[in-house]
Amino acid sequence: MLNKLFPKKCLYQQILIGIIFLVLTGFTQLQDPITIYMIGDSTMSIKKKSAYPETGWGMPFAIFWDQTVTVENRAQNGRSTKTFINEGLWKPVAAGMKKGDYLFIQFGHNDEVNTKTSYATPDEFRNNLTLFVTAAKNKEVNPILITPVTRRNFDATGKIVDTHVIYAQIVRDVAAKNNVPLIDLDSLSMQLLQKLGPDQSNLLFNHLLPGENPNYPEGKEDNTHFSELGARKMAELVLARIRIIQPELAARIIKGKDLPIK
Amino acid sequence: MKLKKTFTAGLLLVAVALPPKPIKIYMIGDSTMCLYTKDRLPLTGWGMPFADYFDSSVSIRNEARGGRSTRTFISENRWAPIVDSLQAGDYVLIQFGHNDEANQPQFADRYTPVGDYRKNLVLFITQARSKNAIPVLVTPVTRCNFDKDGKIKETHLEYSNAVRAVGDSLKVPVIDLDERSRELVGKLGPETAKMIYMQVDSGEHPNYPSGRRDNTHFNEYGARLMAELVLNEIKRLHLDLEDRIVKIKQSGE
Repeated sequence: MLNKLFPKKCLYQQILIGIIFLVLTGFTQLQDPITIYMIGDSTMSIKKKSAYPETGWGMPFAIFWDQTVTVENRAQNGRSTKTFINEGLWKPVAAGMKKGDYLFIQFGHNDEVNTKTSYATPDEFRNNLTLFVTAAKNKEVNPILITPVTRRNFDATGKIVDTHVIYAQIVRDVAAKNNVPLIDLDSLSMQLLQKLGPDQSNLLFNHLLPGENPNYPEGKEDNTHFSELGARKMAELVLARIRIIQPELAARIIKGKDLPIK
Repeated sequence: MKLKKTFTAGLLLVAVALPPKPIKIYMIGDSTMCLYTKDRLPLTGWGMPFADYFDSSVSIRNEARGGRSTRTFISENRWAPIVDSLQAGDYVLIQFGHNDEANQPQFADRYTPVGDYRKNLVLFITQARSKNAIPVLVTPVTRCNFDKDGKIKETHLEYSNAVRAVGDSLKVPVIDLDERSRELVGKLGPETAKMIYMQVDSGEHPNYPSGRRDNTHFNEYGARLMAELVLNEIKRLHLDLEDRIVKIKQSGE
């Protein structure tokens, strides 16, 4: 094609080729490709179709990024920091992450319940979080600690109740002590639910009437796990914090085009 | 005699064990039904979540397109190739109206007078039946439009009535999504209903930096609610298709 435009190999052609080369490489190599690893529990994980419309917030979170970012959502239902490590789920993450990657850590829901086999004592929880953070730092990976997202629990006066008091504080402490960026999702999501109130917040959780959805014939009133809407709202809360505290990562957020709707 | 009995029993067993014949559901319609790419999310057509609730014998061909009326869907040659590929036993879900009924001057490219709308629906039905496919009519899903007293408005009346009349005269099942969705959205009320439409604050979602206030199109949650209404109408009308909707023994797993 260039030969047609410039029949004689001339200076213009060489300059043009040079410009095209610069533009192409400039755009594609502006930023190194990175991976965001997500480790956590069911509030973050990817759901099987048979569990829809239950949605982990890591699912909508994955579409917020440009093509330089791969999101590896390794969160698993029911896992605590302890069982995530013991069941060998952490090992491949630790081995796979490389310099410049990010590690998003959100546990607590299954650590804090002392009747569950996943229970981790506050000390164990602190040690495990520290282990994740240290392993990341050793590989020049950027860890980000996230407090456990809120449950839908309102008191009689319509005030949201913090159900993660002790374990969310441990996350904050580990972040402060190790100088790790913190996204206080517990607090952010509680503010959002408080703003919506007990009724509208229903739409954020997996609440289904009997016979409404084929996957839940008897209905469901789950105040821990999210609907598509709730998962997206939580992902948006996390993203808004990233824009403030992680400008380098935020540069990789897609630049939306406000596309019109026909 | 005994042999005959064994043979019959054998046939029955085979019939039970054989997986159901694979079929396709073709979806034709507008922006409220169609597929969207990632760069438009959370905008979601109800055909998207709808596809998640059928067993493996069903494949969904969502051919709906934003901005199309029955007239432009045909004139752009979107319908003819579907007729060509229809097989006996396939379904055609037909939901138009939003763009057919748009009679303001700026929508002249899509507007279809109700008489033509009716004729186009009849054409979809007749041609689908000529291939032994099963047409199903769907009235246009409701907008988020409330009056001063907080009562939801009917914005599709003439066109929904046309769908009902065509369904009645040609004995085509009608899923009255207009009616069902108005009940549902009306019950949510003017404030909560916004949560199921494409309402995004500025800076909230990276795809819509300037935000969006749209009372016609659904977000992912609203689209799923609409898909659930359609699935439940398929069951209530006892279309054969109901046997292919996923059945779960234990909720959620």
